[in-house]
Amino acid sequence: MNVTSSPGNIGASPPKRAHNSTWKDVAIANGSVVSIALFFIVVCVVFSLITNSFLTTPNLLNIVRQSAPLLIVAAAMTFVITAGGIDLSVGSVLALTATLSAVLLQAGLPWPLVVIAMLALGAAVGALQGFFIAYERIPAFIVTLAGLSVIRGVALLITGGYSIPVEPTSFFVNIGRAWFLGVPVPALLALVVLIIAYLAFNQTPFGRYVTGIGANAEAVRRAGVDTRFMMLFVYILSGMASAVAGIILAARLGSGSSNAGQGFELDVIAAVVLGGTSLFGGRGTIIGTVLGALTVAVIGNGLILAHMSPFLTPIVTGTIILVAIWLNFRLFKGATRSR
Amino acid sequence: MMSDGETYRVRMTGISKRYGPIQTLDDVSLNLKPGEVLGLVGDNGAGKSTLSKVLSGAVIPDSGTIEIDGKGVSFSSPADARAARVEMVYQDLSLCDTVDVAGNLFLGREPRSHVLGIPFLDNKRMHDETREMLDRLGIVIADTRLKVENLSGGQRQSIAIGRAASFDPSVLIMDEPTAALAVAEVEAVLDLIRAVSARGVSVILITHRLQDLFLVCDRIQVMYEGRNVAERKIGDTSIEEVVNLIVGRKFVARSARASRDEAAQP
Repeated sequence: MNVTSSPGNIGASPPKRAHNSTWKDVAIANGSVVSIALFFIVVCVVFSLITNSFLTTPNLLNIVRQSAPLLIVAAAMTFVITAGGIDLSVGSVLALTATLSAVLLQAGLPWPLVVIAMLALGAAVGALQGFFIAYERIPAFIVTLAGLSVIRGVALLITGGYSIPVEPTSFFVNIGRAWFLGVPVPALLALVVLIIAYLAFNQTPFGRYVTGIGANAEAVRRAGVDTRFMMLFVYILSGMASAVAGIILAARLGSGSSNAGQGFELDVIAAVVLGGTSLFGGRGTIIGTVLGALTVAVIGNGLILAHMSPFLTPIVTGTIILVAIWLNFRLFKGATRSR
Repeated sequence: MMSDGETYRVRMTGISKRYGPIQTLDDVSLNLKPGEVLGLVGDNGAGKSTLSKVLSGAVIPDSGTIEIDGKGVSFSSPADARAARVEMVYQDLSLCDTVDVAGNLFLGREPRSHVLGIPFLDNKRMHDETREMLDRLGIVIADTRLKVENLSGGQRQSIAIGRAASFDPSVLIMDEPTAALAVAEVEAVLDLIRAVSARGVSVILITHRLQDLFLVCDRIQVMYEGRNVAERKIGDTSIEEVVNLIVGRKFVARSARASRDEAAQP
């Protein structure tokens, strides 16, 4: 900061080129969030009109209770995808931690120890995958695809394919079933995770580097940042988030099943992408992810309340993903210079 | 300017780097005094960029030693070089398109405020200081919250230069800093080089615009196929000689033969 001379105008362009932002500019700059917000509102309005029970407090709380695992893992996945990676193993980690927590509780371990052990397991699995991705430079898709297979296999091997019950008197089940201040505990856990994720993503150097790595990893490395550790760390986050989701699921269902979370990774990725996070990395928002996850959850819930086949859920979700991204490309393009 | 040949800001000796079968750098040396501006020239693939990346820590050489202010250093990452106050403007600008102007300027050294020991970005300070820096360098960018992808090529290049020049470097390496700039902007960059070197910053300038070298450099070092081939004080050479040194012996030999043939004609 010692440059004292004023050597002419570098990068000069006529002044007053940028006018004050109007709401329209803001909308275009945040096109991805705006388009998913519109979809979310439309979906909510439609279900409020065609069903009587959708827009009731118990139902809305039920939605957030049920979508807590999705919200928590999607928040972590936003970091992974924004950094230019992908984690396909989250559903398998969820199943492994759900079954192992039931097994360990059955073996008589106290519940806080079980929770800590599962979080450590999720972190360890994430660190191992992150090591192969960040330090050995194997594509994330391949590493976590292998992880998806291996980790699910371990869960099946432990349980022999049966689901392991959790003693209903154990305090552990409160993590999934209890209410606190009129709100389900899983929803509160999700809220805490989302607030932390929002702050970390937008207000910390770590979040800045995650975005930067997705945009230009070499530039961030040249700026003196340990990009390999950052890459490894996002997989630790997704592993731990999956463990939290597995604990919540086992506690809510009162059992740990090795078949839990089949296809969960695709729901998570759908929620994140729906929220406007770019699969190419460099662009992501936590707000968008929350809206994306809630949209996916609301569709599933609303179709059931409307007495329509639950099998319509994947069809509608898939269609909305395509249309939302298409709108984002078409309506809101021009937000950036193409280069 | 220091004319004393004893104290060097940078002393690189015997630097070699091999990428597979290609010997990109072969026993290259580079010396730089405080406040000196060195023009590093050579054909494409001569090793200029690799040599400068060795000094900025982005490339780790297979062999060779680097001394800065007489002390031996061994850079294993760009962070080490930054700590030794070596800054570089990369040819590809090294910007993150989806990060805003302030974020790019402060990339890797964001002002932080700690809450409960957790580092948070001090966004207000970052944007205020960015505004000051841009104004001081005369860079016209309306909003420091604009993402870099929304800027013109010249503005992007200005940010890359501003970033390297603004954090009190002792060595400033500029790899093709004027490639995307208009005439007036090139003048501004050359002024900037003069200004920082007058303050004692050593500058390495890599450029294909040979006329620029003669405006700001004290010395020119020519590389050819990964080796040093010549070094000239700026007063002792001419554009013609530098061109011949850059394109190498083949060209010199052919033109020499042509003139010999002419001479032999009558």
